[in-house]
Amino acid sequence: MDNKRGLGFYIHLYKIILTQDLKSKMSYRADFIISTIGMVFTNVSGFITFWILFQNFPSIAGWNYYEMLFLYGFSLLALTPVQCFFDNNWNLRSHIYTGDFIKYCLRPINLFFYYMSEVFDMKGIGQFFFGTGTLYYAWNKLGIPFTLKNLILLIISFISASLFMIALMNLAAATNFWLMGSTFVMIFAFKFKDYARYPVKIFSRVFRFIFTFIIPIAFVAYYPSLFFLKPDEIPPLTYLSPFLGMIFFYISYKVWMKGALSYSGTGS
Amino acid sequence: MDSIIKIDHITKEFKTLNRRVGLKGSFLDLFSRDYKVLKAVNDISMEIKQGEIVGYLGPNGAGKSTTIKMMTGVLEPTCGEILVNGRVPYKNRAKNSENIGVVFGQRSQLWWALPAIESFRILKEIYRIDDKTYKDNLEYFDALVGASDLYYKTVRQMSLGQRTLCDILASFLHNPSVVFLDEPTIGLDVSMKGKIRELIKVLNHERGTTVILTTHDMGDVDALCNRIVIIDKGTILYDNHIENLRKYFGAYRTIRFMFNKHGASKENETVENTMMEIDTLLKEEFSGAKSLSVGMDEKWIDVLLNEDEVPMMKIINCIQERKKIVDMTLQEISTESVIKKIYEGGLE
Repeated sequence: MDNKRGLGFYIHLYKIILTQDLKSKMSYRADFIISTIGMVFTNVSGFITFWILFQNFPSIAGWNYYEMLFLYGFSLLALTPVQCFFDNNWNLRSHIYTGDFIKYCLRPINLFFYYMSEVFDMKGIGQFFFGTGTLYYAWNKLGIPFTLKNLILLIISFISASLFMIALMNLAAATNFWLMGSTFVMIFAFKFKDYARYPVKIFSRVFRFIFTFIIPIAFVAYYPSLFFLKPDEIPPLTYLSPFLGMIFFYISYKVWMKGALSYSGTGS
Repeated sequence: MDSIIKIDHITKEFKTLNRRVGLKGSFLDLFSRDYKVLKAVNDISMEIKQGEIVGYLGPNGAGKSTTIKMMTGVLEPTCGEILVNGRVPYKNRAKNSENIGVVFGQRSQLWWALPAIESFRILKEIYRIDDKTYKDNLEYFDALVGASDLYYKTVRQMSLGQRTLCDILASFLHNPSVVFLDEPTIGLDVSMKGKIRELIKVLNHERGTTVILTTHDMGDVDALCNRIVIIDKGTILYDNHIENLRKYFGAYRTIRFMFNKHGASKENETVENTMMEIDTLLKEEFSGAKSLSVGMDEKWIDVLLNEDEVPMMKIINCIQERKKIVDMTLQEISTESVIKKIYEGGLE
């Protein structure tokens, strides 16, 4: 008999748990509608800021309007998985604070998986379409050829870019296991996503180093976009980004799990 | 029969910061390395056999929850060894979880916004319960407590009692060999308490499931447990059959007095005042009797005494000389008083 819980088991279980979350969400209809509207506004206002900026500057660090738009669209897309599938990180503080986190420790399945599977944030879907639309528009305007090679490249860069953002949020959330009230660490980390929308070239040498090696936000949109926009300017490190993404994600997973296992719960 | 849980000299230490008082103190704490090691559980050992119901008792902060967390694999003991179903829980947390069920009286593990049946379905997948076992169990639960009315109710809308009932059923769904119940009857009304006790009793009896129960309600202990383990300040004070404990305190009696049918006669003569009056009186008269204590329960005033120290008749005489007794009954010591005595150091 197969005793190991394999990938197939987890995919099946994810569907089941996801369905329950969607059912729960729909039972709070007003909340769902309001948060969707909120997401649209956030995206639209982000775009307007961006547009106003380009009314005044023809280009930023040699990047024109459509190239910047490409970068913007790509960053939105790369932020979708973290928004959709890993949103429960934001609730970690309260789960730990109230002691409710213990319920995740008592099931015979992977703790990280179980925790993350419980929340699917629908707002991410709106972001996905918004990002796709922006990217498609910029892609057309820039006249990038729509080939199979480019499509595969896009998918790979999308996945590795997402992994960086997910890993960053996991690490920020994991601080909750050791620090009480470390929400600010998460807010801080999440703020960095805004820097992902700009070419790293505009920052000083120090920040360029930080955004590449320490808080690798440049991998979320800048380095992947170079493949399509500036093929002659790609630094060698970029080719490694899928592997780096996986390694970074793995590290964040390990840190998160270490925190979770050292968690001692509140007395009852 | 084989032991299902073996605990061998386990200790759990927590490091806590010695906190200072005031804002300045809090600021200094930020840089402090002044840790204090607290032994939540100190060198305890026990063995629990398949099919037992064990009452795990102790005052708040005694180390009950810590022990349970170690048995469920959430916490790692600082030293010592635990085996549950032959496995070390902390090292095989996931595997261990397959064979145990856990209920925390105050926090539900069910999906809040969904009907209970949806939670059961998810658990069916998580524990890979086969269709037949799942269906049989749901029917069986329904036959036991009429649970099918609850299956389709949203957990959020349930009363505390209904939710606890569903949580207990959920913990038995995958036919675990051990179930840990942490204060399952806390905050419940009398009839719901009865229902839940009955359910635990039947499940233990018919399924042979080992049950480890922590509670502050001696009604739970009287209704369910043959064996009790009492822990305080991290060490085990008592581990034996409950009957032995009563024998230990065999010379203890409770006499209940009633001095006024309506509780109070004159304006300032409340039951509380009378109690205090009797307390002072007895303390003066029988200063050698250490176990003597006075309590009250509505209109009744309870005097707990140890006949080895002072004969019962002497106390009755002493009180009768000063006050008119309307009614009086004699009781064996209750489990509650026994446990209270042990917490207060009566076994030393």
